[in-house]
Amino acid sequence: GQEFRFGPCQVKGVMLRELQEAFWAVKDTVQAQDNITSVRLLQQEVLQNVSDAESCYLIYAMLKFYLNTVFKNYHNRTVEFRIMKSSSSLANNFIVIMSQLQPSQEDEMLSISESAHRRFLLFRGAFRQLDIEAALIKAFGELDILLAWMEKFYQ
Amino acid sequence: MKNVLQWNPPEGLQEAEVTYTVQYFIYGQKKWLNKSECRNIKRTYCDLSAETSDYEHQYYAKVKAVWGTNCSKWAETGRFYPFLETRIGPPEVVLTTDVKSISIVLTAPEKWRRNPEDSPVFIQQIYSNLKYNVTVYNTKSNRTWSQCVTNHTLVLTWLEPNTLYCVHVESFVPGPSRRAQPSEKQCVRTLKDQASEFKVK
Repeated sequence: GQEFRFGPCQVKGVMLRELQEAFWAVKDTVQAQDNITSVRLLQQEVLQNVSDAESCYLIYAMLKFYLNTVFKNYHNRTVEFRIMKSSSSLANNFIVIMSQLQPSQEDEMLSISESAHRRFLLFRGAFRQLDIEAALIKAFGELDILLAWMEKFYQ
Repeated sequence: MKNVLQWNPPEGLQEAEVTYTVQYFIYGQKKWLNKSECRNIKRTYCDLSAETSDYEHQYYAKVKAVWGTNCSKWAETGRFYPFLETRIGPPEVVLTTDVKSISIVLTAPEKWRRNPEDSPVFIQQIYSNLKYNVTVYNTKSNRTWSQCVTNHTLVLTWLEPNTLYCVHVESFVPGPSRRAQPSEKQCVRTLKDQASEFKVK
């Protein structure tokens, strides 16, 4: 079957299509709530030209942030917008992916992990510049960008 | 990735002379941009392929109607993501027949080019997970079957000699939003089996 390969990190048992369909079902609803169209959190500098070696660190940091910050605090919105089913499907799949990611902590990987961390900080920095409510809506609405990037590592 | 904005004329203005003006916006940037070829136009579509050619960006577009001294509000699209929402064109299909087999060679569709002189970008350079869905129809037995392949060449074997087979192929990329457009149906006849012909005589 198909799996994610973020460099050395392999993730099995997750259907990318399920994630895409979960988001696609709520895309218009969620993105319509985002009025700050002049800001993109997942700018091209965050996700472009990410090396395989970096990818495991970056996806780990991104999913951890989405689970601990976005999904956690966006919960009441999901009820309001009636997007619970999609949101839960995305969150549960992210938990499964994270549980299988084991980014190497070896010293020789330090510069690579730092490079990935800088990319993540770009994203989180943009997130923190916004009002929390607006930032949560925008981050959720940009999941199609994250999923499109993840698709490149799905084989 | 030919991206054309289309809209319906406002209701109740059949008699009026209505013109339209289009603007587009790159998500994450600061301001709406004009599309000069779509300012005060009468048609109800505007080709924004050049403006949306970076498929990793996301875009909005909007249009407003003007008639006499009146002007409508802007009508705006949702966030458009070419990478996810493009419709994959059909591959080029070349068939070569033998007695009991048909060889199929597929060429992936090209990305829309701004200028004909630009070097071609083939879709699988953008979507590494591009697949082909090959559908074959035996006109004698009325049997149809399909198979999904990832490489560009395929040989259909164990076919019946001197039989007309019709083939069409769809290139697709897994993902909920990406629709695919099948190729034209092509029909070819497998060659006669000379051996069995001699026996009959």
